[in-house]
Amino acid sequence: MSHTMILSWVTFIYFISFVLYLFRLITGKEFWGRAASFLAWGGLSAQAIAMIIRWRTSYSLGIGHIPLANLYESMVFFAWTIMLIYLIIEWRTKSKIIGVFVVPIAFLAMAYASIAPGIDNRIEPLIPALQSNWLTSHVITCFMGYAAFAIAFGYGLIYLLKNLDKDKTEKPAGFLEKLPALATLDTLIYQSIALGFVFLTIGIMTGSIWAHYAWGSYWSWDPKETWSLITWLIYAIILHARHVRGWRGKRMAIFALIGFACVLFTYLGVNYLPGLHSYLRT
Amino acid sequence: MSIEKHTMWSFFSSVKLTIAALVLIVLVFIAATFLPPDDVVQTFAHQFSPGAAEIILFFHLSDLYHSPLFYLLMTLLSLNLIICSINRFPALWRQYKAPHFPEPADSFDNLPQSLIVTEAKEVSKIKLIVKSCLEKKYRSSEEVDTEIGSIFYAEKGRFSLFDVCIVHLSILVMIAGAIIGSIFGLEANINIKEGESVNIATLAKGDGIQQLNFSVRCDKFIVEFYEDGTPKTYRSDLSFIKNGQVQRRGTLLVNHPLTFDKIRFYQSSFGAAPEIKATVTYTVAGKKSGSLALAAGDTFDLPDSKARGVVLRVEENFMQMGPAIKLRIISQKKDIQFWVFQQLDNLLAMKPDLLKEMPIFNPGLFTPFVFSIDRVEQTYYTGLHLVRDPGIPLVALGGLLMIVGLIIVFFISYQQFWVRVEKEGAKIRISIAGRSNRNDQQIQKRIDSLCRQINEEMKT
Ligand code: HEM
Repeated sequence: MSHTMILSWVTFIYFISFVLYLFRLITGKEFWGRAASFLAWGGLSAQAIAMIIRWRTSYSLGIGHIPLANLYESMVFFAWTIMLIYLIIEWRTKSKIIGVFVVPIAFLAMAYASIAPGIDNRIEPLIPALQSNWLTSHVITCFMGYAAFAIAFGYGLIYLLKNLDKDKTEKPAGFLEKLPALATLDTLIYQSIALGFVFLTIGIMTGSIWAHYAWGSYWSWDPKETWSLITWLIYAIILHARHVRGWRGKRMAIFALIGFACVLFTYLGVNYLPGLHSYLRT
Repeated sequence: MSIEKHTMWSFFSSVKLTIAALVLIVLVFIAATFLPPDDVVQTFAHQFSPGAAEIILFFHLSDLYHSPLFYLLMTLLSLNLIICSINRFPALWRQYKAPHFPEPADSFDNLPQSLIVTEAKEVSKIKLIVKSCLEKKYRSSEEVDTEIGSIFYAEKGRFSLFDVCIVHLSILVMIAGAIIGSIFGLEANINIKEGESVNIATLAKGDGIQQLNFSVRCDKFIVEFYEDGTPKTYRSDLSFIKNGQVQRRGTLLVNHPLTFDKIRFYQSSFGAAPEIKATVTYTVAGKKSGSLALAAGDTFDLPDSKARGVVLRVEENFMQMGPAIKLRIISQKKDIQFWVFQQLDNLLAMKPDLLKEMPIFNPGLFTPFVFSIDRVEQTYYTGLHLVRDPGIPLVALGGLLMIVGLIIVFFISYQQFWVRVEKEGAKIRISIAGRSNRNDQQIQKRIDSLCRQINEEMKT
């Protein structure tokens, strides 16, 4: 089976896994949760295998490089890191609730990678600027950060959903009751933001080191660089508001959404902005 | 005066200022990335109205990253950071140096804790056990005796009190590095044609030039492509020449800069030079000469005959007959011009009496020399980017500090434990209390595990 075939299956598996998490949330039956996790782990492993096959294929084409070099490959890796970090959190917290909000993000990333116009899934050779070991560490750390922020986004959504219900006097309706307590969600939002922040910081730095070797300037105010800094600053503001001014709960949840919007813009939106490095364009 | 100073001080030390400045910086960045490039803005503004152009000029809207507004915000932020750090430091230092005894008031009532009551008789033995458990887990312990019993103390991660300081310091160190780089740094570009050397660089900003105290020669420039036409390698073979001698040779590739005389060289662009070069040889009496690389306008001397050649034209494909050059040879007796074709043999095979019809196509017109060309090719120039940035060590140090600081902030906490051993009638009571500088649920777990360990040790 070719790796693209496996990846299509993985996309489908993530979708089914999402549906099962939804069943788990609505019915409250542990069985569905176990099935959902099982599929999610299966999808994660299959995806890892597919990425390794793609890696090896690139060598047999004589243009060998780690599959992290273009939009398609990074999108697939993004989905993978989201699932990885999510499953680790699920395993540690023993709670299969946020799968409903996180697994669809991975599914959407996979689906976007395969159907969006302008995303090419061919294995492309590396242009000289990309031939650097810093590429690998840069992409891995950035996407670890993005994935952690995606998970904070999932928690933020749950928080707001649950919060809608807070002021009502009667018993909370149906499944909302089954969501984790607001205080727990608040902690989880904070922890995933903190994790993402550390990775994003390292990601920006490895990118800077790479730029230093490739262009002779560790910072050149390229729109992508600037937007990664904007994202970093937004999360820094959130952390200060929490530590120093004691912001909790709803504000953190809203900021988790804003922060993730910035992440997405840094990742995808920036390509539509004017002016980019005109580096060795031929 | 002192009140004024006071309000200034508290203005600069408020976290509200931090957040406001950070938000403003974010807004400046957003504006900067959405504004179109400089030249577009300028033309647009001029068409729109001269007033608009002036506003743009005043606010540096076309280059917000170097505008007074941005510098002002960065200065505010730096002052804010410095003053906050100065404010906080004494208290931090006191906390760092604080004595561990007596334990904080009500520790054994309010802090997370655990309790063991044992029937064992010998207090001294129990104390030894407690001490060894603490030392196993936390390396060292302290002990004091009070009227009710003995209290032991152990701790972990005290330096993490300075975590935020380290992160903030790292930001200041990076800003300092960036300032030093922009004041004392050098950024310039040079283009060097293959075979030539250059010792003057054009500054990247403005239109000044920089005289180098050495020269750089480009021995060869090579572009390689993958099968699908994507560029694979840009490579310049460079020689660095100082005092008339080649001091260093090196191969420059993208992502692999070269350093000479504290200046780093980067492969940044390339281009086709206007001329093309031909590799020319000639034979005299059956002996082949070495090859000459010649472009239009170049001259060369012929040995023994006091003749001088001038290259008039170099063509990649002259009149569909392939690569060719036109030469003029001047000696005391003659001044003649003729063409030299690379593929003369093919041409003669097609048209055997070519040279009779067109004597000017005869490469042996200047006897006894017979010229030939091996190839005609485009010459390239390589575009190098030169950088000298004395701020880099500071920026790198700042980066390192920031990572270390963040890891401490998020993953390490200052944990303190007090263990009280006291006699209670016939029994001995061991209370364990602890605290951490973060609201950390871990502390209870650690106390419990300490408790388990003491229990186990007592059994054996
Ligand atoms: C973007 C640049 C930053 C600026 C300008 C900045 C500035 C400040 C300022 C002025 C304070 C107030 C200190 C006080 O209340 O005495 C503060 C507090 C704090 N900052 Fe930052 N900071 C920055 C980045 C960071 C980063 C990256 C972190 C790491 C997560 C961080 C973590 C904290 C924490 C935890 C506090 C609270 C300290 C406390 O009250 O104990 N800061 N920051």
